[in-house]
Amino acid sequence: MSGKQKVQEREKTIAPPVGVEMLRVPAVVRPAAYPIETLVPEARQQTPAVGQRASRVDGRLHGLGQTRYIDDLAFPGMLHARIKRAGIAAARIVRIDTHGAEAMPGVMAVLTGAEIPVNSFGPSLQDQPVLAHERVFHAGDGVAAVAAVTEQIAVEALEKIVVEYEPLPAVFDPLEALKEDSPKVHPPHGNVYTTKVIAKGDVEAALAASHRVFEGRFRTQMVEHVSLEPHAAIADWDANGRVTIWSTLGRITLARGDVARTLKLAMNRIRMVGTIVGGNFGGKNEITQEPVLALLSRKTGRPVKGVYTRGEEFTSTTTRHPIIMDYKTGVTREGKILARKVRLVLDGGAYCSWSETTLGKAAILSPGPYNIENLRVEAYVVYTNKTMTGAMRGFGAPQVCFAYESHMDDIAAALKIDPLEIRLLNAFGEGSVSPTGQVLQSVVVKESLLQAAERFGWREGRP
Amino acid sequence: MKRRGRGIACMWYPIGFTVSANPSAAVVKVNEDGTAMLLTGTVETGQGSLTVLGQIAAEELGIAADDVHVVSGDTDATPMDTGAIASRTTYVTGNAVRLAAEKAKSVLFEVGASMLGVRSEQLEARDRKIQVKNFPQRNLGIGEVAYHAQVVKGQPPIGSATWNPPTVPMDPETGQGKPFNTYVYATQIAEVDVDDETGEVEVLRIVAAHDCGTAINPMLVEGQVEGGVAMGIGFALQEEMLFDVAGRHVNPSLTNYIMPTSLDVPEIEVDIVPSYDPTGPFGAKGVGEPTSVPTAAAILNAIHDAVGVRIASLPATAEKVLAAIKAKGDRPRIGGQVPVPR
Repeated sequence: MSGKQKVQEREKTIAPPVGVEMLRVPAVVRPAAYPIETLVPEARQQTPAVGQRASRVDGRLHGLGQTRYIDDLAFPGMLHARIKRAGIAAARIVRIDTHGAEAMPGVMAVLTGAEIPVNSFGPSLQDQPVLAHERVFHAGDGVAAVAAVTEQIAVEALEKIVVEYEPLPAVFDPLEALKEDSPKVHPPHGNVYTTKVIAKGDVEAALAASHRVFEGRFRTQMVEHVSLEPHAAIADWDANGRVTIWSTLGRITLARGDVARTLKLAMNRIRMVGTIVGGNFGGKNEITQEPVLALLSRKTGRPVKGVYTRGEEFTSTTTRHPIIMDYKTGVTREGKILARKVRLVLDGGAYCSWSETTLGKAAILSPGPYNIENLRVEAYVVYTNKTMTGAMRGFGAPQVCFAYESHMDDIAAALKIDPLEIRLLNAFGEGSVSPTGQVLQSVVVKESLLQAAERFGWREGRP
Repeated sequence: MKRRGRGIACMWYPIGFTVSANPSAAVVKVNEDGTAMLLTGTVETGQGSLTVLGQIAAEELGIAADDVHVVSGDTDATPMDTGAIASRTTYVTGNAVRLAAEKAKSVLFEVGASMLGVRSEQLEARDRKIQVKNFPQRNLGIGEVAYHAQVVKGQPPIGSATWNPPTVPMDPETGQGKPFNTYVYATQIAEVDVDDETGEVEVLRIVAAHDCGTAINPMLVEGQVEGGVAMGIGFALQEEMLFDVAGRHVNPSLTNYIMPTSLDVPEIEVDIVPSYDPTGPFGAKGVGEPTSVPTAAAILNAIHDAVGVRIASLPATAEKVLAAIKAKGDRPRIGGQVPVPR
């Protein structure tokens, strides 16, 4: 075979791909050429638009590996930032010595909390430092940041930063933290920073009149969102004093406000760009390193990128609230709920973050989707010297659902009632009144129970 | 021996923020050829919200999803949005998008009315046409009207709107109030095998029936449910951040913080429960977070059904389940259930 023939044979194998063929992984990587005529799935072209199983606009780019996440973006002269973590849960910062890091070749700037114009943020309470300055509240706190020409140099430079700590008493268990004499996470404030009460009817009288009263304590653990894409951002402070920040945040309007506040910068000098996010689940609802990157960019006159490690994702970003949930429920002989008492203690970790919202939703939802006329819910969220808890898919709902539905099955088993039937007996219907006294509309909890049971074959019994 | 169990759990979940304002704004611009641009300040976080918002704008304008290009996530270019949180995008941002599209459409109707010689109230937008209600043969292509509006009449069809769900603050003593404008409901049923010699739990099947109001895009609803269930399995059985006595997180990596893999995810059967909420865009509510809410409860109830032990703290690891079985002492005998042979 001649050389020309060989080339022709080879060219046959790299004929322009069409449609779904493009999604196959080729044995030899094809040149990056895509059809000019893009095939559009029919559902995207049909009217009416609502109800169509239209494929996602970003789907093709994901499928082809063409989506540009933060880590795929690079700018000329861009630096890489890393943040030094405290590694101690509660301490006074006596001294931070950054000289060793600054002297390293390739290190362009070092930043500490003292240089941040307003070193606090948070969606409801501004109790979180951007970089811990005088005090460390949990082991994942950042204490200094480095911008260097490579990520490796930045990592090495962190080792050269010396931080002297004076350890302080700490508290980790939320029930311990509730006690008056426990160490205070944010002195002089107490550890309980928000409470919520929901009350209707006469719970004690209804419990006394109940056929039986059931009690249970349920607990949940701390989990992380574990998005595939970690928190990442690039900040570019230009010569006009305007900063552009590309970020994985899901809430750019709020983020711009937080950046403006921490940097004392007018909002029209900040451009927040929300790139396509590789997973959020509530974990990317507030700023993390954005002000740090912006200030490092201002110091160096270069764009600065920061990408959290998986370890930082766990230890230095928000997680789901562990909740200790005490339930007490009075029922009739037939299984109708007459009264319910709920006490929730949420482990808020070191900072408030989205705890107020989580506390509110957990408290409101904790009785379950059931008609209960006599109700008392008391809910507390406490500081502990652990990774902060915040928004995560469900804001307390998965925790309380685990509790009220486990409790419901215990009641059903004791009364020898089928779990489906006891739920149908108590479930909300159209016009039911919620725990907060709201008349509910478009209520289909019974329909969902029946539909799931039908699909599962619940009433047909066991195989 | 493996023992089979089934567990049911239902839930309710609100859409939007608790009492606090959480507005969205949107801008819809109809191009001279009848395609459109939607400007939104929210961000695509993988759930497909931009596709859904595009479908809502398209529906109002009587065009197809592919006719709308969505520009998102840039504070220099897009209007404010409270963002991708609280399962609010389809409902709150969706309402703003629908209202913005309605305003752009009203310009098309005004111009189209003079072109067709009717009043604008007599018009409707369907199948990429502006047509007279009940007389669909009297119509103009939406592109023709949009071109005429912008180039001849000097009235570019652009609409902007905002929306915020109405709420009533909660009483601090009793919690009475209207913290949310609407809620969604769901039930999940789990079938599991529990090995009573090792405590290991295998989730065999999850049936999930979810209410989301009108499903703007049923395929994306199914995707959300499948993802939410997978996340719920991790919460139920595997995931836990552990701290040492000094408050340091000891498993900050995926080698010792165990996530569900595709091998841990069972067959998931998704049912969309028919419902319509008149306060949502075309009757839609939302579905994002709720998909992960009842999974752990259903699995834990299934474990109880299988081996008769109540695991009251998550996650129900094999160690925890086995310890509970041993503590219970006797071999499980539940309601005449037949053990499943290995």
